[in-house]
Amino acid sequence: MTMKVDPDMSFIKYLKSAGGDTLKNCYQCATCSVVCPLSKDGSPFPRKEMILAQWGMKDKLIGDVNTMLCHNCGDCNTYCPRGAKPGEVLGAIRAYAYTHYGFPQGLAKLASDGKNLPILIGIPAAIVLVLWLISGGMHMPEGPVDFGNFFGHWDFHWLTKTTFFIDIIFLPAAAFSLFAAYKGVSAMWNKMSESLEISSDFSPSAKQFTLEFLWPAIKETVQHKRFNECGTNVDRVKGHLPLLLAFIGLLLVTGYSFVRKDFLGLIYPNLHGPIPLYDPFKLLANISAVALLVGVAILWANRKKMEADGKAAPTFYDWFLIWEIAAVGITGLGAELLRWADFGVLAYLAYYLHLVSIFMLFFYMPYTKFAHMVYRTFAMAFEKYRESSFVQKESS
Amino acid sequence: MTDEHTPVSGGILVVGGGISGLTAALEAAEVGTDVFLVEKNPYLGGRVAQLNQYFPKLCPPSCGLEINFKRIKNNRRIRVYTMTEVKNVSGSAGNYQVTMETRSRYVNNNCTCCNACVEVCPEERDNDFNFNMDKTKAIYKPHDMSFPMKYVIDMEACTKCGKCVEACKYEAIDLEMEAKSFTLDVASIIWATGWNPYDAEKMDKLKFGQSNAIITNMMMERLSAPNGPTEGKILRPGDNKEPESFAFIQCAGSRDENHLEYCSYICCMASLKQVTYIRERYPEAKISVYYIDLRTPGKYEKFREKLMADENISFIKGKVADIIPEADGGVTVIAENAVTGEKIQEKVDLAILATGMAPAIQAEGSSLGLQMDDSGFLLGDADAGMIAAGCAKKAADVVTSNQSATAAALKAIQVLRR
Repeated sequence: MTMKVDPDMSFIKYLKSAGGDTLKNCYQCATCSVVCPLSKDGSPFPRKEMILAQWGMKDKLIGDVNTMLCHNCGDCNTYCPRGAKPGEVLGAIRAYAYTHYGFPQGLAKLASDGKNLPILIGIPAAIVLVLWLISGGMHMPEGPVDFGNFFGHWDFHWLTKTTFFIDIIFLPAAAFSLFAAYKGVSAMWNKMSESLEISSDFSPSAKQFTLEFLWPAIKETVQHKRFNECGTNVDRVKGHLPLLLAFIGLLLVTGYSFVRKDFLGLIYPNLHGPIPLYDPFKLLANISAVALLVGVAILWANRKKMEADGKAAPTFYDWFLIWEIAAVGITGLGAELLRWADFGVLAYLAYYLHLVSIFMLFFYMPYTKFAHMVYRTFAMAFEKYRESSFVQKESS
Repeated sequence: MTDEHTPVSGGILVVGGGISGLTAALEAAEVGTDVFLVEKNPYLGGRVAQLNQYFPKLCPPSCGLEINFKRIKNNRRIRVYTMTEVKNVSGSAGNYQVTMETRSRYVNNNCTCCNACVEVCPEERDNDFNFNMDKTKAIYKPHDMSFPMKYVIDMEACTKCGKCVEACKYEAIDLEMEAKSFTLDVASIIWATGWNPYDAEKMDKLKFGQSNAIITNMMMERLSAPNGPTEGKILRPGDNKEPESFAFIQCAGSRDENHLEYCSYICCMASLKQVTYIRERYPEAKISVYYIDLRTPGKYEKFREKLMADENISFIKGKVADIIPEADGGVTVIAENAVTGEKIQEKVDLAILATGMAPAIQAEGSSLGLQMDDSGFLLGDADAGMIAAGCAKKAADVVTSNQSATAAALKAIQVLRR
């Protein structure tokens, strides 16, 4: 078999700058592929990915499902005889792929570089501020702190003014982010199909796809099955699992709040205002907030320790997500505590920062490390698809 | 304490009586230099004595060693001290004072090796010469061709019951013999302290010690040697099964910054040599060699090519990074074949770890004031009369060790005659 190697030097340089600086140490002994708890017999990794990366074969790597399946357990880094840190290299390839698949490209590139952090913060900070100015809410609301008055107050008993403004900021942002993620993930799916030379004659229906591939992948993710197989960094599960559950909890609460304020609120105006503490959803929200902070603190400490031990390089890609989640948790819980304490200005300021950080987390999701939640889930679905009769039938 | 001060001209001290130390001592002595040869073990010959065959000509060790022993016997300029270690070095080039300590052998020169003592000895000890694969009595002959040919008592196993003393017709046994220390004045010192097999238990995934089916390459030499624990039959330790399948695991610890960061140089050829041991005994056995790169320099390429043509031998490019002990006494070795890109799980009856060479001086080196590199190999300083030779200097085969020993002898003489 011959293969034309046409190294993409800029790709190699990118990998070296994004945590994969040890890439060239690899001498292809394949220890990593053996110790990796997630590597499968028929398609082991990351040995192959290491040589493709050394050769700068970008096209092969961004369509490589194994790169996305890697959970960065770190077992490969621990046992690597050359300190080549395959786990870190695969992390850098993923970071590259998220930018590569990112839609629109301009935004994806913006969100992948730490130098742009002021702009990344500036966009939502300006949007929320401008809408706040337009809303005419620029005065301290009277009475006890109520974030329902952040964007001012209407004597309009259906939708409160703040709910309306939150909706016009976050609904388009969420829709855009979901669309961008869809674009990115389908580009990845097509690239993966292309690299396996799967033609689309026998595509599964949307229902088959969801039931047979996507849903099992989501179930596996929530159960942290693969994460739990990690050896070296199994401690990360202690941080990652509470974090994942916290996000699911907060998603449910947000959904509930949306239904309550935007729909039920139209009929029963007394449902506006803070959800009472005894409400099970409020309870879930507070538990999730604590779980989120605990989870991110564990991951923070873990990452610091890995860096101190020389097992990982500090990268914007890794830290942006940790900072972001920490910011969402601290401003959210902070705003709630300050509201209870009735510290007027501080409470509203914390609420403002909370809105900004949430916007950043979800708006930039498809391009930052947070994108792993969609890319990896779909890669796991692809892995199941690859092993299914849809693909196997053709090759036989 | 006795003083054995040599004349002002002094002599040379050679530390280590393996193949490099023997060569250095003989080369120096045969041009008229006084040489003290000290050896930690009760016998000379070092690691070569433990081999079944050795390169370049696949001779048994008796071949090269016996000639050297004869040269020592015939040369009055060499004084040999076995069971002796260097405790302290002071002075400078041309004028070193070296404090030595000789452990008690408990057997004197009257010993004729009649074996009467062994027959009556009730105590046993693990035989470290055979990597603990068999036992000897507490009084024992180190191995069949020990030089000096004298028995020795392992006091950790001995209960001083006195039966051997009664059985010995030659009054050769003295259970109260004491350790001696003494000082030598020498001009220069050749360090030929050799190597130890790297501790295979340090590679946790290779599970050495957790299954009898996992042995080291040096254990393989003993299993193959006619004077070894199985008299040259290659049998699996523990159940004495005749293995039908073998896996050689190359770079077990070598070329690995978590263990030995250097290539141990000899392991590829050692494993290929051991493949021939198996072929001679089990013509039908299936043999797999798992490697990262096969390093068979120079004329050894021919040796490799011949074996690679054998259809019952598979060469797989991929390091075995995990071994799983199986219930039937065998093991499964796991690797990725980097040529086909598939993971391999192969069940074999015996897995041989090609463990590398760890410099033996590493532990004591710095307390003796020796300069070492990061791995513990001696750097040596010829101007200061401190010269490294053989595997104390770098991982090497017998040929290279002998060349470096000859060079070391020359440098040591130069210091002496300055």
